[in-house]
Amino acid sequence: MADERQPVAEPVAALVDRVRAGDRDAFLTIVQTYQQKVFMMAYAMLRNREDALDVVQETFFRLHQKIETYRPGSGFQAWLLQIARRLAIDYYRKHLKDDRAHASNLSLEDARVATESNPAAERAADLRQVLSREVGRLAERQQRVFVLRHYEELQFHEIAEALDISVGTAKSLHFKAVQNLKKWLTPYLGVTT
Amino acid sequence: MNAKHTFDEDLAAYIAGEADEKIRLRLEEHARGCARCRAELEAVRGVLSMTSAAREELRAAVESVDWEATAEGITEQVFRAGTARQTAARPAAAWGRFLGLGLKPVFAGLALGLVVGALAMYVALRRPPVGQAGRPVFQASPEFLAQVELALARRETLDYLEKSQILLQDFVRDGSDVGRPPFEKAVARDLLTRKNYLNPQLETARMTKAKAICDQIEFLFLELARLDDDLPPAELERLRRVVEDRQLLLKISLVKKELESEV
Repeated sequence: MADERQPVAEPVAALVDRVRAGDRDAFLTIVQTYQQKVFMMAYAMLRNREDALDVVQETFFRLHQKIETYRPGSGFQAWLLQIARRLAIDYYRKHLKDDRAHASNLSLEDARVATESNPAAERAADLRQVLSREVGRLAERQQRVFVLRHYEELQFHEIAEALDISVGTAKSLHFKAVQNLKKWLTPYLGVTT
Repeated sequence: MNAKHTFDEDLAAYIAGEADEKIRLRLEEHARGCARCRAELEAVRGVLSMTSAAREELRAAVESVDWEATAEGITEQVFRAGTARQTAARPAAAWGRFLGLGLKPVFAGLALGLVVGALAMYVALRRPPVGQAGRPVFQASPEFLAQVELALARRETLDYLEKSQILLQDFVRDGSDVGRPPFEKAVARDLLTRKNYLNPQLETARMTKAKAICDQIEFLFLELARLDDDLPPAELERLRRVVEDRQLLLKISLVKKELESEV
């Protein structure tokens, strides 16, 4: 995945200090470093480029507002992704509300209900939509690990470092995430259990 | 070590992407002779394959964005908004401009005099707060009002959970009833509307646990409210399993008990 994997040249704590002092360049560096990660998290849940970009923008707005509350030493990326996740959930709910308001104009397929009678092409798109919805249902830590592992293609030791957890915990959360998705997605997979 | 135990361990390695050729062969071999494990392996493969397709889509989306311009744009907007806030938050600077914008000291003094005079008149003529019968008005303290709000939020949440529980119990229990609608969609829609009003209260009252369970219920109701009446039994069964697997009814009972003890 095209992504800035290199560690930030300047430690994030120093960048945060500079942002607190009103340094625009430091803020720009943080945005450049983390914007794709936030985008991936949001896209995994919303599955819409423009919506995900809105969440990216809102996340960095919030980051700037809340930068004083960040405790140096705790995982910055985990903190930032937590903000992003909450915003994506809010966005998702808002989107659903809008869906409800315009339900009369939507076909059943557009209203996100996958049925067995869907044609193959629609079914493939539906399945990705269903996956994104179910990923959004995962518990917070499971979801983060799943997104980092599969969408950012990070190794478990990198995930552990990014989220400030042990490698064993990262593996265990990933296992639970896949098991949950398997359980929820079974009706769509055509597998008889 | 029995075969099932080995299969679970091998499957965990497979899911983690750490299965070598030997493990893969062992998984295949076991799955060939065991229908249940074969289904499990197929389901895991299905999830990983769907994820892989979604990753391709995500990759295309990431590559379609001009990240350099996006970062610049966000930074520009954030700092512009920050500057606007700072300007609004600096009344002293506004006074400085008021006094300095070409106003001669005499006019500035007159203007200030007017403001001070108006304030003095207001203080002198202001009537003490009295009730209709001349009794003093008692005002509730902010702490008291906060307590009342919290108590109301708890009661509202309790009621919402109570009604949701009844609805979900019916949904799970009536699974086998023929001829009955699988779900009272109208009630679910009412509860969804109520949840919208409940959201700010849950946020402000900081009822994290109650909020989490209410959110889960809301998610489920959203799905159920959209259901077609002729939904395949498999889909209904899946949703019933969601209620059971997540132990929603049990969780609702626990949160209700907690809230009842606090009300």
